[in-house]
Amino acid sequence: MFEALKTALVGTFQRFEERALAFLPNFFALVILLFAGWIVAAVVRSLLGRALRAIRFDRWCEQMGIVQVLRRAEIRRAPSYLLAQAFFWLLFLFFLVVGLEQLEIALVSRMLAAVFGYLPRVVAALLILVGGFLLANFLARAALLAAVNAHLASARLLAGGVRLLIVSIALAMALEQLALAAHIVVAAFSIFFGGVTLALAIAFGLAGRDLARDVLRRQFSPRREEDELSHL
Amino acid sequence: MSQIERPQLAAEVEHALREIGRVDLLVGIPSYNNARTIGHVVRAVMAGLAKYFPEYTAVIVNSDGGSKDGTPEVVRQAALGDYRAILAAHPRHPIHRLTTPYHGVPGKGSALRLVFDIAVRLQARACAVVDADLRSITPEWMDLLIGPLLKEGFDFVAPLYRRHKYDGTITNSIVYPLTRTLYGKRVRQPIGGDFGFSGRLAAHYLAQDVWHTDVARFGVDIWMTTTAITGGFRVCQAFLGAKIHDAKDPGVDLSGMLMQVVGSVFDLMEANFPIWANVRGSEPVPTFGLEYEVGLEPIRVNVERMLGIFRLGAEELKDLWQRILSPSTFRQVQQIAGSSEAHFRFPPDVWVSVIYDFALAFHRHVIHRDHLLQALVPLYLGRTASFVLETLESTAEEVEAVIEELCRHFEERKPELVAQWGAPDAGG
Repeated sequence: MFEALKTALVGTFQRFEERALAFLPNFFALVILLFAGWIVAAVVRSLLGRALRAIRFDRWCEQMGIVQVLRRAEIRRAPSYLLAQAFFWLLFLFFLVVGLEQLEIALVSRMLAAVFGYLPRVVAALLILVGGFLLANFLARAALLAAVNAHLASARLLAGGVRLLIVSIALAMALEQLALAAHIVVAAFSIFFGGVTLALAIAFGLAGRDLARDVLRRQFSPRREEDELSHL
Repeated sequence: MSQIERPQLAAEVEHALREIGRVDLLVGIPSYNNARTIGHVVRAVMAGLAKYFPEYTAVIVNSDGGSKDGTPEVVRQAALGDYRAILAAHPRHPIHRLTTPYHGVPGKGSALRLVFDIAVRLQARACAVVDADLRSITPEWMDLLIGPLLKEGFDFVAPLYRRHKYDGTITNSIVYPLTRTLYGKRVRQPIGGDFGFSGRLAAHYLAQDVWHTDVARFGVDIWMTTTAITGGFRVCQAFLGAKIHDAKDPGVDLSGMLMQVVGSVFDLMEANFPIWANVRGSEPVPTFGLEYEVGLEPIRVNVERMLGIFRLGAEELKDLWQRILSPSTFRQVQQIAGSSEAHFRFPPDVWVSVIYDFALAFHRHVIHRDHLLQALVPLYLGRTASFVLETLESTAEEVEAVIEELCRHFEERKPELVAQWGAPDAGG
């Protein structure tokens, strides 16, 4: 029995040694790929950052309101830096994936396939969020300006409502893209949106009848309040 | 020079133009749903041409935007009736009339493009355009708008109206001071709407490639004046008396109006920087016609509402104004917003800073241009309220002196504008 145990242990250690010897070159290949990937990604980050600054990408982001959105999220870095960093990590991730494939471990391969299968959804969700924030910013500002020029005291509230509505829609769409409890998200959004609409309808329909009448009267017969200046 | 696309004409219009051949004078009347007033305008034009230019051949061109109220029919049927009431002798040549729809981007610019094209085709020597909703037009307007072109060799005649001291505040506080400062000519009403121009200038207008831009929609008046000045044409103005329009839609949006007019002025600044950067000071333009006082109806002005919008803007648009205005201008505006109605004053030097800062922000695309121009509205109302309060007891002459003082501030600060315009973007 002792001999059998000894044979089993020796055999196990021999197989382990064989597999380790077979694994080590792949592991070193992984390390070299990661090192090379880091360098390549750093070079691309540097070149991309310079190119974005040369075309005044940060200025465009400020005009589009992206910088304001980032500041609200306590992100002070310039958009060109952030985009260059994003490309750095994307490239490095690519080299990491290629490197991990070299290990030829079935479990790792399956995990990578799952991650890459999910990646397009993540990209789509990010695009939806970014587009939603930009649109929300633009329309909220337009609503604020129109409300101020129409002498509505609740101008900021109106603008905030517009922003909240669009961001909510974008968020719901992004979560649906990510397939994260999609049914719950859609249901919650519908309830929230429907509830807000119903509340506004009740407020204007019942409780705010007089206010609604005043708003509509001012809208359709402005001469009572307006002056007779001919501005041109 | 590249070929500029000419407007398409209907077959019957082409035929009519061939029949007419050539004219000395052309009067254009752009229209859209003006059946109530255009008959009077056509009759006044016909009487004016017959009375003051009986030796000349003439045509009236109505460029219509697809009216649904029978405007073209009114134009065709308008007749002077008994000429003897205004003429010593019957006119030698009949006055031709053409009414045709225009095509292209909807707006007065497209309508006038058609007028320019017909003027060039008919080789007209002198032309005029008048609005279709005028109630105060008289036959003398023809003499005043066309006379300087034929007899004195001018190329462009701008109108000069006698207006209520509070009328035309966009013109008085922005367009006139800025146009005078930039281009060096004191054309008092650069967006008057009723102009005279030579056939030579009509050809120049037609050759410009602007007919798919905002010029075609709403910027044609200021574009005509600016192009005449920057093109080196001889410019004058003619006193036409009061300008009374048909009552406009009371819902006309000030914000939209300001966006269109000031946006057009700022757009022209972009295109003409090499010219206005080198202009120093300004000079008066010759004025024709005897200036006289006109009795004007008093108008109601809601200063409280203007101040309310200005103060609301100072509170709610703070972040936006900080991006557009320089730090010192922003501080001054906030101080002004905090003052009481009794002591409310928006000084001319601060107003000049506001306009120049907005022009620079427009030039640098600090924010979306429509939003930038909308953000100017509360500031404009604050300035207008101050102007009204300041001139409550003033006569028309005293008000004109206030406007003259404002223009002096604009001209004094112009070198700063030129320096900053050409400088690398320093941010708002």
